[in-house]
Amino acid sequence: MACFIERPRTTCALGGAIAVINALPGVTLVNHTAIGCGGNLSGAITGGGGNMGDGIYSGSSMPSSAIGEKEVVFGGVDRLKEEITTALEVIDAELFVVATGCMTEMIGDDVEAAVRAVENPRKPIINISTPSFKGDAYYGYEVILDAIFNKFVPVSEEKDPKLVNLFGVIPGFDPFFRGDLSEIKRLLEKLGLKVNTFFTPDQTFEKNVLGAAKASYNILLSPVWGTTVVKNFEDVHGTPYYQTNLPVGAIQTAEFLRGVAEKLEIPSELVEKVIAEEEEVYYSDFIRAADTITNRQWYFYSATVTNSNYAIPIGRFLYEELGWHQEDTFVTDILKPVKKRALTKAFEEANFASKLTLDTDTQRISRTLNKTRPRNRGQRYWDNNTPFFILGSSLDRATAAEVGGQALPISFPLSSRLITTHAYAGYKGALLLVEDIFSTLLG
Amino acid sequence: MAETTEKSNYYAQAMPPVRDTRLQIADTFSGCACEMSKCLEGGCALRKNRSFWQTNACQMSLTLMMCSTVQNSVVVMHGPIGCGTQLHGLSANAQKGKVNRNLPDQKAPVWLSSNLGETDVINGGEKKLQETIEYADRTYRPEIIFVVATCAPNIIGDDVEKVVDITNKTCAAQVTALHCPGFRSRVVASAYDSFYHSLIRHINFKAIPYKDYVPDNPQDPAAQLGEEVFKYKIAHTVNLFNATSIGYQDEQEMVRLLTALGLNVRIYAEYSSADDFRFLPLAALNVSLCNMHDDYMLKFLEKEYNMPYIIEGMPIGPEQTRKWLVAIGKFFGLEKEANLLADYEEKKLEEAVDEIKDSFAGKRVFLGGGSVRVAAEAIALKKIGLDVIGIRGYNIDSNANPVFDDLGEELPDVPLSVSNQAYEFVNQLTKLKPDLIITHNGSHAIPAKMGYPSIQLFDAGASFFGYAGFYYLVKRIRFALENNNLAKNIKAHAILPYTEEWYEKDAFAYHKE
Repeated sequence: MACFIERPRTTCALGGAIAVINALPGVTLVNHTAIGCGGNLSGAITGGGGNMGDGIYSGSSMPSSAIGEKEVVFGGVDRLKEEITTALEVIDAELFVVATGCMTEMIGDDVEAAVRAVENPRKPIINISTPSFKGDAYYGYEVILDAIFNKFVPVSEEKDPKLVNLFGVIPGFDPFFRGDLSEIKRLLEKLGLKVNTFFTPDQTFEKNVLGAAKASYNILLSPVWGTTVVKNFEDVHGTPYYQTNLPVGAIQTAEFLRGVAEKLEIPSELVEKVIAEEEEVYYSDFIRAADTITNRQWYFYSATVTNSNYAIPIGRFLYEELGWHQEDTFVTDILKPVKKRALTKAFEEANFASKLTLDTDTQRISRTLNKTRPRNRGQRYWDNNTPFFILGSSLDRATAAEVGGQALPISFPLSSRLITTHAYAGYKGALLLVEDIFSTLLG
Repeated sequence: MAETTEKSNYYAQAMPPVRDTRLQIADTFSGCACEMSKCLEGGCALRKNRSFWQTNACQMSLTLMMCSTVQNSVVVMHGPIGCGTQLHGLSANAQKGKVNRNLPDQKAPVWLSSNLGETDVINGGEKKLQETIEYADRTYRPEIIFVVATCAPNIIGDDVEKVVDITNKTCAAQVTALHCPGFRSRVVASAYDSFYHSLIRHINFKAIPYKDYVPDNPQDPAAQLGEEVFKYKIAHTVNLFNATSIGYQDEQEMVRLLTALGLNVRIYAEYSSADDFRFLPLAALNVSLCNMHDDYMLKFLEKEYNMPYIIEGMPIGPEQTRKWLVAIGKFFGLEKEANLLADYEEKKLEEAVDEIKDSFAGKRVFLGGGSVRVAAEAIALKKIGLDVIGIRGYNIDSNANPVFDDLGEELPDVPLSVSNQAYEFVNQLTKLKPDLIITHNGSHAIPAKMGYPSIQLFDAGASFFGYAGFYYLVKRIRFALENNNLAKNIKAHAILPYTEEWYEKDAFAYHKE
């Protein structure tokens, strides 16, 4: 039985699906729920996801069956059929995904039958089951992508050896998803690859979503999220996958590029040339920043409070490139045992002298950090592990203030920043992270 | 009267009524202002529905906006994990509101989810709710715990009130519940009743001796004088009821005006604390700032504490502010003073507005959002020369009849719709092509993508009410009309999700009986 949870840094499965269509081109979501679900969740995602704003099809433009007491008692299938029919008339999308919420799952509406009953729809319709009591937003991300790529996108015999798909980065819940994916795409293109990110502005439904089946490799940029999608993708489309972390900084990005090159049999001369070029630019800028960092002696004890995707890359960057003591790595995702094991394994492999704590609650995280940073009780000498810096969500600023530390909000809920193309991944992203961290201290 | 008995019974029930059962409501209507209240009374607006709906808000969304502002409180969402996650955004607003008011508690509100999973939905979530409440009580030591019961527990039949009763015995905090399943009402205004119902049911409205006051000693010769002073004070005290859409600056403007009449003003119920609530009945009069917001609470206070109340529209624009002010003045025998004050304020305001308003002549304005506010602003803006070409209220109930009767007199032929639907908004704008849009927070991206300037219908961070508020509203209109470059720029590149076919249809083509 799942335990109660303080200020969950996620939403429900339906919320995950909404986050996906916020960024995925050409797809609309027909909410088979009460009228408020979609609006409330859009508010949660856009607000928490770095004020990311709505896409063409998300937010208040999403169709909703808007069921009421009558449908809860007598069933909502007829209302849903009507809604799908009218949605096809009003909304100009390439694909209609019907998604359920708690109430329609509890009353047992046969959504699949309602979808089938729509005669000669002018656009394809699929349906997914996304009640909140079954899983959270990260689960919802997997559900909708699994449905679109593994049940809807037609299988392609012909594969493009240079085409790859990126999975694992979650719109909104990874608030820097657009910038991060663009940077990864930029680097992979330098290796001569073509990249489907699905969520960056250059993507289209026709070319990238429908064309995803032609990819010869899937790159999963997460130790835990999206595994269902890439595994089923392999079964359905025969495309293998390469699971790795989202790289942040020169060390991780070089590893990443070499890893990809090995899987895709890209000549090592090319990879090394790209890495050398990128590093030359990167270090020229980084060394300038080092002037200020070293002269002000900005070395910190640090903690990160993030989802599974950012925990390892950010932690490694702080430890390996900034020379910090990255003591505590808090992961706030709600993880099933299998995913817990996968994360722990990836964390151990990354090996950056930090302690991994799985904790969803802001207050408990605060308590843990307070314990390791005791107040002075009249001792002449006492070790409170300072100076201290937290890279967490907007919520964790309060914790940092409590223990006398500094904070930079980077993870969901990121309600205190507005993010469009900002990134922390790759070479360019890492420099932006350096700018953000040390600007916090200068300001 | 049968009706009164029935209505008063609402307060004794565990579950609050929804507006759909308590009043005549509409959320789907198109016509003109002059027919609105007739259509509500006659029933022709009641049965309307749509065959195409877009997602919006539910009553839970608004209850959260209200209860998250209460000082030293914790919100316990009773539902699956997704419900209430918009609090990540709302919390920042609530915290800002606390800081603006310089309240003792300036923390961001804490909230928890009972996180109902699949097994809980089958076996019931009462035990888990109790654990969550008790954890919240001992961890955060709040004064009030608001349990927000969402759709799921209401479908599976959790007895939330039972858990509230139990935890009121086991917890230091006062525990109460807001019953607000989204499926029970499409009318978000039900949230106000749900919030007030939660206060009425379980929050203490009685001052505590030796904590809040020292009881008089009958032997003390000054005791009688003390009592007289106390009575005098209460007889000159007004409780003003705020709302999420009413910011600190608006509260202050109304306080300024009432103080000028020699009255003490206290503000409820948002941003109040458990301490404040105990003084709630110690006033001569309760005053609302919105027809659709407070009647449930004010009627309760009248019935239970014999406190009269005034609901006199929204004080937007000089005319409606005078009406509001004079109604209160009249109650205290200060009608003449209220009119004199209004005369003075209007003169000052006129001098300031006159310079600006000339540039508004003939500008075509479209208003959308909360029904009482759109009507009040439309009337006020018409008076300074703006041409109101369309009004859209999000939802409406019979409490707003007086406002719509006024609107029917002032702007009888202006197209009026009751709609919170984005697709209808877009369609209407395509046809009406206004010069300015005044619309609900959260809906500005639509006019911007279509190239229109838009300003807030309300904004808790800005000023709207009374005389000062109207001046700032006029200034914001001038600003919007002078520079619309942002919207102009994005218009050329923004894509809206609608089919060509939709734009050819009537904006209300999907209304049905």
